[in-house]
Amino acid sequence: MKLSEKIKSGFTYFEGGCGTILQSKGLKPGELPETWNILHPDIITGMHYDYLTAGADIIKTNTFGANILKYAKDDEQFSLSGVIEAAIANAGEARVRAGREDAYIALDVGPLGKLLKPLGDMEFEKAVGIFAETVKIGAAAGADAVLIETMNDIYEAKAAVLAVKENCDLPIILTCAFDESGKLLTGADPVTVVTVAEALGVTAVGVNCSVGPRQMADVVKTMAEYASVPVVCCPNAGLPRVENGKTVFDVDPQDFAEAFEDIVKGGATILGGCCGTTPAHIKAMHDLTVGMEFSVPTTKTDSLISSYTHSVAVGDKTVLIGERINPTGKSKFKQALRDHNIDYILQEGLTQQDKKADVLDVNVGLPEIDEVAMMKEVVTELQAVTDLPLQIDTTNIEAMEQALRLYNGKAMVNSVNGKEEVMREVFPLVAKYGGLCVALTLDEGGIPDNAKDRVSIALKIVKRAADYGIQARDLIIDPLCMSISADPNSANVTLESLRLLRDEHGLNTVLGVSNISFGLPNRDLINGTFFAMAMQNGLSAAIMNPNSSEMMKAYYTHNALRALDENCMEYVDYAVNFVPDVKAPVQGGKTSDTAGASGEAKDKNAGADNEAPLVTAIRKGLKDRAAALTEEMIKTESSMDIIDGYLIPALDIVGKGFENKTIFLPQLLMSAEAANSAFAVIKETIAGNAEGDGDSKGKIIVATVKGDIHDIGKNIVKVLLENYGYDVYDLGKDVAPELIVETAIKEDIRLIGLSALMTTTVPAMEETIKQLRASGCPCRVVVGGAVMTKEYADMIGADKYCKDAMETVRYAEEVLQG
Amino acid sequence: MSLVRYAVNASELNIRESEVLRYLGYDPKLVTEADLQMVQNLREEVIGKIAPKAVYDRFRIELPKEGVIDMPYGRVVSKDLYNNLKGCEEVYIFAATIGAEYDRLVKRSSIRSMANAAVINSIGATAVEELCDMLNEMLRLEALEEGHALRPRYSPGYGDLALENQKGIFSVLLPEKNLSLTLKDNLIMAPEKSVTAIIGIV
Repeated sequence: MKLSEKIKSGFTYFEGGCGTILQSKGLKPGELPETWNILHPDIITGMHYDYLTAGADIIKTNTFGANILKYAKDDEQFSLSGVIEAAIANAGEARVRAGREDAYIALDVGPLGKLLKPLGDMEFEKAVGIFAETVKIGAAAGADAVLIETMNDIYEAKAAVLAVKENCDLPIILTCAFDESGKLLTGADPVTVVTVAEALGVTAVGVNCSVGPRQMADVVKTMAEYASVPVVCCPNAGLPRVENGKTVFDVDPQDFAEAFEDIVKGGATILGGCCGTTPAHIKAMHDLTVGMEFSVPTTKTDSLISSYTHSVAVGDKTVLIGERINPTGKSKFKQALRDHNIDYILQEGLTQQDKKADVLDVNVGLPEIDEVAMMKEVVTELQAVTDLPLQIDTTNIEAMEQALRLYNGKAMVNSVNGKEEVMREVFPLVAKYGGLCVALTLDEGGIPDNAKDRVSIALKIVKRAADYGIQARDLIIDPLCMSISADPNSANVTLESLRLLRDEHGLNTVLGVSNISFGLPNRDLINGTFFAMAMQNGLSAAIMNPNSSEMMKAYYTHNALRALDENCMEYVDYAVNFVPDVKAPVQGGKTSDTAGASGEAKDKNAGADNEAPLVTAIRKGLKDRAAALTEEMIKTESSMDIIDGYLIPALDIVGKGFENKTIFLPQLLMSAEAANSAFAVIKETIAGNAEGDGDSKGKIIVATVKGDIHDIGKNIVKVLLENYGYDVYDLGKDVAPELIVETAIKEDIRLIGLSALMTTTVPAMEETIKQLRASGCPCRVVVGGAVMTKEYADMIGADKYCKDAMETVRYAEEVLQG
Repeated sequence: MSLVRYAVNASELNIRESEVLRYLGYDPKLVTEADLQMVQNLREEVIGKIAPKAVYDRFRIELPKEGVIDMPYGRVVSKDLYNNLKGCEEVYIFAATIGAEYDRLVKRSSIRSMANAAVINSIGATAVEELCDMLNEMLRLEALEEGHALRPRYSPGYGDLALENQKGIFSVLLPEKNLSLTLKDNLIMAPEKSVTAIIGIV
């Protein structure tokens, strides 16, 4: 019987622990257990034999750490293939000896011990490649399945699953390690693990290691509620403790077995053990559970997407998909894409999260940029700052594939439609990487003008998706809304389509809501009302602008009225904080700024009594007030007068305070941010008046050198330099010397700031300076960072060491204005 | 001995405002109510995002000659560590972290406000130090019960103790598995606010 059939026919049993058994046979701390496949095949075979006779059906090969990071391909004694092939041969031998030819051999694959980028230093594709090496050898050597186990990180699990899918057809069983909080160490909850695992097409999903069987019951139960595939449970024998100098686990075979009653009732059907469990544990557990009632997992219908931490269900309450990460009609966003200003894009994402978006749409398509590269970067960087699920929005198939591949979770995909050609391109990607796919009701015949035909296209798409193994729950139909200014009946058709799709076909729906008002004045007024009508007619998700107060009003009031907001909690929270969109008066009046670290009482840096309000605002770090005041002033004063007459003097007061140690870093930065917001107003006005792009005081590169990812210090310097009117080219962190040299030459840069935090990265700084000098670039180099000293700076050939951001500003003034 | 996992509730960490501000270079005499308020607000945000955890174990060591220590992961040459451990036959070794969500929080803050990011950075540093202090104190009491005392904790990178020791410490504590704490190729740990240390038992 195939394993995939076996697990649907009754309880299936895994082996228990391996490491603890090998330690009891003499494996030393730090010794690699997989070498024993070659050194002591008798012990390994004996262990499998004992488990098989105890009732196990699936052998876990002794290959947990068998990867090319630990075993070189060409090592004479312990090559990667040698270790894995021996492991599978030992398992096969045990199977024969035990007379258990019906048992299965699972190639055991453990984590790599590396955190993936952007938080760690391993590239996602590199992880896929490492797993692939192991999988190829194991599959060729005769494994019946691949067990990916003890995963702490759903992202690494995804890399491993992809590696298996791309290199063999073996069934994949994925088990993750949940800690006491019921989550993975990297944050994913049980529903998210199930969602991502099923999106990737695993054969079974579950938990192993970390805690004892009783603590696992809840996680297993939650997983079984959501999983359509069998759920696996392989707990430890409790927690380790020391008795008479020996490590023992506190759950004995009988306790272990009894704890499985709840686990099986909770829905697990593939059972086994992990650290500390022995053949005696497996036997007791097997004997107790084998007669319990078995039920095949049912196919679930939840429509779920997820980030790396949590899942969002598409169902009764409309899901808000923030539409602001999109260049269409936004000149600033376009400019940010051209300038490779990733922070601007991330800021758009974070603002929408603050405004309660559930999902972020990501569209970075612009003809003049490399969309594939930009999409990969933005998806990765967004996931370094926000835990919201993303919707990959592109018509570039390569960008779509790369984004779905790199995405940490199960994404939304925007979009497919009823055209055969498009379905042929998009559905294979959704089938491979998983995703909830937006399906537009248009096809070769265009967009039907009536609801019935739009629904027909939807049904055609659902049917076609099924051919690729994509279920209806992974489609979300967009029946399209066109402007009522072009077709007065447009809203009626869309609303009728929504209703039919929900009531007659039970399908989820989505709309780009604001299209309805295209060409009309004050569009938000129409948008808000239409949004409410659409929700009433069953809209499951809306692609919308969370910054629009009309839309959010419609959302909260609708949910409260429809009993979708328990005790009106969300509405009340929204309503009590509701501020109408009216600008507060500024001139001379007091505004309600709350920021600012310097209290009045000890304000030792106060200027003269007749200090200008803008200077005060900047000095106190009041962002909103500084911007509002500047808006007023720019009507009567020139931009340069404001900069030279107020901004720079205010910053100088603060800067001197910092140098005199009466003002401290956060205050310095708050003032910088207030000045920035004033600058932003000035820049906008200049752009509006088309006076050019203002006077720059000079161009400066800042970068954290190769190998170093600590960029707080560098970012602080950048904020301050920008304040003082310099154009700062921020090359980021972990920057190769070549890129710095190339940029310096291309942009004709006269000053470069390099930062390093670790002693280990100082050589990279030295190398950067060496290459700069060799290139003949006539620039000065200023260095800084936690480990830097004047002596170090001299030693590596820097022009200047600056101890903090203010000193760097002073040096820039000296170099670029002198 | 065997590996022991240690975890505390984030809200139990005593992250003192004064310590956070000291780390930011504040003159204690010039701290205002507003500064304290700012730290308190951001501290709430940090506490909501961190998961303070550690793993430790107890090992026998030998000091075969001046400046040489035989650690459980191999021979270490370091005058400074030798001086610290002189007279010890055993050590605790631990790895501690406040988790990866903190790194995301810092990144997020850096985009929104560098002022907040700088303060959050200081709060994170204070938090992981406090975690180490709490664990250290627990181990001190544990040792005291057996009539032992502890030496000040010592980390790779202190004095002449090479950062290379991180590899050895990782090989005996398996923080990758136990804490999702990893060592990058350049021997820096990820997540960022993490500490490994050796504590001599005398």
